[in-house]
Amino acid sequence: MPGANRMEQLVESIAERVVNLVLDAIDINAIVSKVDVDGLIDRVDVEKIIERVDVDKIVSRVDVEAIIERVDVQRIIQRVDIDSLVEQTELGTIIAHSTSGVASEVLDVVRAQGVGLDDFVARWINRILRRSSDDWPAGPAKLIAPVPIVVPILETAG
Amino acid sequence: MTAPMATAAPPASGRLGNYAGGLTRLVAFAVDIAASWGIFTLGVAGLTFAISLVTGKQVNLASRQIIALVAIIIWEFLYFSYQWSLGGRTIGMALLGIRVVATEGDPITPRQAVVRTLTLPLSFLLFGLGFIGILLNKDRHALHDRLARTVVVYSWDARAARLRWLAKQEPATPA
Repeated sequence: MPGANRMEQLVESIAERVVNLVLDAIDINAIVSKVDVDGLIDRVDVEKIIERVDVDKIVSRVDVEAIIERVDVQRIIQRVDIDSLVEQTELGTIIAHSTSGVASEVLDVVRAQGVGLDDFVARWINRILRRSSDDWPAGPAKLIAPVPIVVPILETAG
Repeated sequence: MTAPMATAAPPASGRLGNYAGGLTRLVAFAVDIAASWGIFTLGVAGLTFAISLVTGKQVNLASRQIIALVAIIIWEFLYFSYQWSLGGRTIGMALLGIRVVATEGDPITPRQAVVRTLTLPLSFLLFGLGFIGILLNKDRHALHDRLARTVVVYSWDARAARLRWLAKQEPATPA
């Protein structure tokens, strides 16, 4: 009915206008500042919410492989103090049992002495020539370059 | 288990793939010279014995100096080039934990092994000036390394050696 439609439109426009006027008159910030958020949080039953969460469903949506690939294992290993780990645990005994041998021990000693003397000579030559070798490459690029870590692009679940 | 040796600990940082220093290379070369001469002497002694056994005559190869010199040169060439082409290391290098690789770190090719062996004597010329680069250059190139496009690196994992050394020590008692 044309009359009823016109009436409806009129009521809608009046309601819209009134709501806008009311909203303009209200200071939302003042109201929010009066709200006791801590009190609200205290009233929330977190345990009940957790009980309603389907953890299995969430876990099933997580791409664990992608997460593992993003982890910089090399950096983690470098941060581990393996020396103290071996010193303070039975791991040392296990390694000793698996790698003991006079020949390998002698070789380690000879090589360690060689490396030490190489460093000593290099330090003195640099000191005599008054130069720094800090920015020199330690070795060929392919042998000392860190292994590139591929970061996969995570697909968002639809 | 053997008793731990009273020695200094190997370096804490791994040296795998780092350019090898001059002293380690020098010692490895000395070991190689001793090994190659030892094997050559044994070979000559065995050959002399075999000839005398077959022909019944005493053969003295030391008196044939030209032949001996040529034999030594060929033997040294085979000793170094064969081992370098096989795995990038000789007996001495294996003992000292170093190996030869291409400049970028790839395994050495047989051609590079041959070039390196043939140009090695050039480094001895002019009082061994060809070796000075090992001490002065940042990539520790000797002359024969430069000509063969090779470098010498540590193939010995100092960190693993340190772990073995630590493992031989008495475990620390917890406080």
